[in-house]
Amino acid sequence: MAAWDLTVTVEDLGPDAPPLQISVASDLHIGGVILKLVEQTNLKKDWSDHALWWEQKQQWLLRTGWTLDKCGVHADARLVFTPQHKPLRLGLPNGATLKMRACFSSSAFRTVMGICRVLSKKHLLLPMMKNKDSSEELYDLTDVPLTAGSVQALYNGMPAHFADSPKTEAVYKMLSVSLPSSAPEAIAKLYRPASVVDKTHIHTRWLDSSRSLMQQGIQENDKLWLRFKYYTFHDMDPKYDAVRLTQLYEQARWAILLEDIDCTEEEMMLFGALQYHIGKLSLSQDMVSSCQGMDDLESALKSLEVKMVGDSNSTDMLESMTAPELNDYLKIFRPKRLTLKGYKQYWCKFQDTSISYYKSKEDRYGEPIQQLNLKGCEVAPDVNVAGQKFCIKLLIPAPEGMNEIYLRCENEKQYSQWMAACKLASKGLTLLDISYQSEVKNIQTFLSMQRSNSAAPAAQTDDSINTHSLVSPRYQKKYKPKQLTPRILEAYQNVAQLSLTSAILKFLQIWQALPDFGISYFMVRFKGSRKDEVLGIANNRLIRIDLGIGDVVKTWRYNNMRQWNVNWDIRQVAIEFDGNINIAFSCVNADCKVVHEYIGGYIFMSTRSRQQSDTLNEELFHKLTGGHEAL
Amino acid sequence: MDDIDAMFSDMLQEMDLLTQSLGEEAESAPLPKPPSIPDPQEMNFSIGFTDLNASLHDLEDNDLDALMADLVADISATEEKFATERDTFTGSAPVAPKPSQPQSNFSLLASTDTSRPATSYNSIAAPPLPPASKPSKDELEEQMKADKIKLALEKLKEAKVKKLVVKVEIMDGSSKTLMVDERQTVRDVIDNLFEKTHCDCNVDWSVCETNPDLQTERGFEDHENLVEPLSTWTRDTENKVLFQEKIDKYEVFRNPQNFYLWKKDKKSLKDMKDKDKEQLLEENFCGASVIVPDLEGVLYLKEDGKKSWKQRYFLLRASGLYYSPKGKTKASRDLVCLVQFDNVNVYYCKEYRIKYKAPTDHCFILKHPQIQKESQYIKYLCCDDEWTMTLWVTGIRIAKYGKQLYDNYKAAVRKAAGSATWANRTIQASSSASTPSPTPKAKAANGHAPQPAVETKGSGNQTSFPPPPPSMEILPPPPPDPSFPPPPPSMEILPPPPPDHMLPPPPPNTAKVNKFPPPPQFPQSSFPPPPMDDLPPPPPPPEDAELPPDFLPPPPPSLTSNGGEALPPPPPDPFASLPPPPSAPQNFASAGGAPPPPPPPPPPPTPAPAPAAHKPHDSVRKVAPPPLKRTTPQLTAPSGGDFMSELMTAMQKKRSHQ
Repeated sequence: MAAWDLTVTVEDLGPDAPPLQISVASDLHIGGVILKLVEQTNLKKDWSDHALWWEQKQQWLLRTGWTLDKCGVHADARLVFTPQHKPLRLGLPNGATLKMRACFSSSAFRTVMGICRVLSKKHLLLPMMKNKDSSEELYDLTDVPLTAGSVQALYNGMPAHFADSPKTEAVYKMLSVSLPSSAPEAIAKLYRPASVVDKTHIHTRWLDSSRSLMQQGIQENDKLWLRFKYYTFHDMDPKYDAVRLTQLYEQARWAILLEDIDCTEEEMMLFGALQYHIGKLSLSQDMVSSCQGMDDLESALKSLEVKMVGDSNSTDMLESMTAPELNDYLKIFRPKRLTLKGYKQYWCKFQDTSISYYKSKEDRYGEPIQQLNLKGCEVAPDVNVAGQKFCIKLLIPAPEGMNEIYLRCENEKQYSQWMAACKLASKGLTLLDISYQSEVKNIQTFLSMQRSNSAAPAAQTDDSINTHSLVSPRYQKKYKPKQLTPRILEAYQNVAQLSLTSAILKFLQIWQALPDFGISYFMVRFKGSRKDEVLGIANNRLIRIDLGIGDVVKTWRYNNMRQWNVNWDIRQVAIEFDGNINIAFSCVNADCKVVHEYIGGYIFMSTRSRQQSDTLNEELFHKLTGGHEAL
Repeated sequence: MDDIDAMFSDMLQEMDLLTQSLGEEAESAPLPKPPSIPDPQEMNFSIGFTDLNASLHDLEDNDLDALMADLVADISATEEKFATERDTFTGSAPVAPKPSQPQSNFSLLASTDTSRPATSYNSIAAPPLPPASKPSKDELEEQMKADKIKLALEKLKEAKVKKLVVKVEIMDGSSKTLMVDERQTVRDVIDNLFEKTHCDCNVDWSVCETNPDLQTERGFEDHENLVEPLSTWTRDTENKVLFQEKIDKYEVFRNPQNFYLWKKDKKSLKDMKDKDKEQLLEENFCGASVIVPDLEGVLYLKEDGKKSWKQRYFLLRASGLYYSPKGKTKASRDLVCLVQFDNVNVYYCKEYRIKYKAPTDHCFILKHPQIQKESQYIKYLCCDDEWTMTLWVTGIRIAKYGKQLYDNYKAAVRKAAGSATWANRTIQASSSASTPSPTPKAKAANGHAPQPAVETKGSGNQTSFPPPPPSMEILPPPPPDPSFPPPPPSMEILPPPPPDHMLPPPPPNTAKVNKFPPPPQFPQSSFPPPPMDDLPPPPPPPEDAELPPDFLPPPPPSLTSNGGEALPPPPPDPFASLPPPPSAPQNFASAGGAPPPPPPPPPPPTPAPAPAAHKPHDSVRKVAPPPLKRTTPQLTAPSGGDFMSELMTAMQKKRSHQ
């Protein structure tokens, strides 16, 4: 067989080095080509990761047993001899960028799996594949109009274990601990989708998971986004996967801050309060305690301690069971119709779950003017630190309705004590409860935050978080910090007792309960229709949205779905539902493979939840998402 | 006072009847309630929601036993509590949650109440465990103390357990009365009612509350506690507890498509496959967070303080009920929150077209459970049709309770399935004379009571006399008293203790005793029945505590009356006159009514009680006659609550009659 010259560029020789010419025959297999190539370079190194990349055809020649002939390589082919693993910059959900080596030659699906495996390597007990069901996918950065909020650090990552060195530990911390929020101005500057149409653009950029990175034009050191693509989260067990939980939280948080998903004002305040709480706990958390469940354990131990002490010296305990009281002069105000009476000072006693008030301290042994049982009442703060106003608003239920009563405290300290007591009492707990002290402290911290805000708005210390950074720009515009803080404080009352993990889980729960949660939008044109419409893909249904009205026109559920396929010639996705309902659409701004893969991916996820196996069935995934055969 | 007296006499009557009937095994006819007494008034004093009087009438024997056992448990619990000097309130109101109700008539009672706690406290302080200490008080004292301490926490909890006697109306017009303790869930109560009513135990049975003022009705959710909401009812409430089938209760789990796919046309939903329903449930209830049906549509909202209703476009979200203000879009950011669900419940309403000029009668309201009357804090909503209302109410329940609702349903289904297979057995069991005690939990509570309480209760019917023995054991403390050596050592302290301890045990015994004891009692020569004696003492103690000097005198009389019981003596003295049937009813029968407890020993020293007593006395007299035969010691268990004191008085009255 005739020999001919094959041109191969060897990257390791340097960018300016001329391509090598090697003499080959058509029946030479790829392995032989590589062998010849290596001999010719005269370089002594480990070539095991290298493979041949066929530039014109945009494909790898990975089967070393195949002959050039079989691969279709002729003299005009320009091949590149290059490593299969290259560094890649990954934009994580939390805004940090991670640099790590990824495989450019296998399917994106596998590559992502490999990356995830590394990221959660700490948990070796986990089946390696497990992380994949979080379905992180790569986001192509090339046409992303924004730079991630803050490029916190570039880490060279391929650590065998995160604990290997301080540096890798830091990486792990970055991954597993939520980062402090950025300044509100920075958030405002970030790109926000203004409409459903904007949202469809984001989703055009998902990579094809059946092809390799290289095939999709990703170059060494390019930046990709790593995101949770499918909104079906199985096995959300914080004990196993701190990284995943934290990153999921970050993704949810940014989706809310950037108004990617809409929520009401009340919900936003709660999200803000949770963010504040999570941020505060994360800051105070050191590496070790980042191990999940630690905080829970701690509190369990604490209460255990209390019990033990109680058992050992019972008499003391019994005495201490006499509930402590709060006694002080407070100003009380009961708004009534047609009265302009203001606050009046009384001697107040807080005992158990009740407040009794007396005309003066001297009268305290007599009958109280009134006794208020706070069990089941609503407690709301009415505070303005700058104005030195510390009021507690109580709505005490009674058969006739709610009694509205305001307690005015002199200072922060008094306020935090009484507020905490009211809060506990409303839940039926007394001052004895172990959470009392921490509740007091929480309130004080929050107040101090407000104080530092008003004193030095720009100051961003560890302790102070600008409340504006906790809400989306819409609410930043709507409210001044002075107005916002009390509202977040109010919501904060209800979450201040949560541990870090439960706060994160709570955040995710509320996020998932939002009506628009988990819908990915694509611009499509339905068959027989003349206008562009939006197709929403969720984990259990497809939604057709009329752009004119902005309203849901129709929903189809996957479990009524008979089959779906792609006509690659006209690039149209066709779906058949029960009852002879057929729909077909083409994609306006995304590749129809993306849409098809999305739907197939959700079907795949639903099969997973049923069988609960630990390994991912890659074959099934590709079968469902590939669109090559009808199911 | 009249009320109380009347009530007590009623109760006593009832008890007599019950015991008698038991003896003959002819419990069938508990006799119509004593007609003599005006019920309406009595109701006031009852537990705040049900007519105590009536409820006691309705109590079945077993319930009665259980009740007594409970009371005993309460007593011991209160003792514990006082020993620890903690929280006097709960202790004083084990049965009647709101003893505080200030009624002029009750002034006396109140005083006795307070005094009693005090005494019990003293008693414990000095001789922690009289019963055990019988042989050598000091030694055992230490031991007992240690033991007690170990259980202290638990007992403290026990002491706080509230119990209510609840009358539940059943659809067929009949009613059942049962004892519900604070820790019981509605599910427990329903199970309990299943046992009593022999209905098919399908999942739709629910316990509902109605409020005639607001014309509302709400089914309690299975996981809720019944006692808590009921104890917030006002005293004069006409609210009722119903036991009925409510299809709405779990409809969402049978046909989730009607709620979650409500936008689709009905036809396609009708024949949905079970598999699809299951999946729907899994999607919405088994995820990390429960998905609330995406309800939206026009509802009428009653404007604050006006009679007009305004149409608004409402949307339901997990975080609350929202509407979109005029001219705004339905986008989340523009929504206005009408109410969040943390502090409110949702209630069906009846006939609001008339009451509030609502556009239709398909209304529901959202309010804090404690609100019982019309108020600006109630949100009134009106729907076009019944189905829409069901949709919204169910949606709100899902938003409020989340996965709990689904868990409730699954538990109910399990229960229903179980009961179907076990139907035969349960019927047999229940039909047999000895039905199990009300509820397992209640039993547990009793467990803490002095030894006899639990067992006696359970075995009450069969073992007629076993009970007495236990009482004897308990009595031990008294023996010392009779001799009266104890008084000398610590005049004030010792005397009271024994009575207290004594008291707890007696009730249980009495409960059973009644069945058989009757005979013994009849022979009753003045106060022979030892157990009986024990009971009376309790009342005196309070006074004793207050007036140590007075106490001394009593001892001697006691000796005379009954060597056996130290304390009994005191009462007898005062009553000594009473025993003589004729005179007794008049003068002190009254005392028996309410103040009786105090009167016995102190009568002379404390004039106050006596006068007060007179009023009740009259009423009592009228009533008393019928039941007179039996002494009903069982009731006497004084736990410190009004109820208890009433029982005490009733007891004494009875005696006097005898």
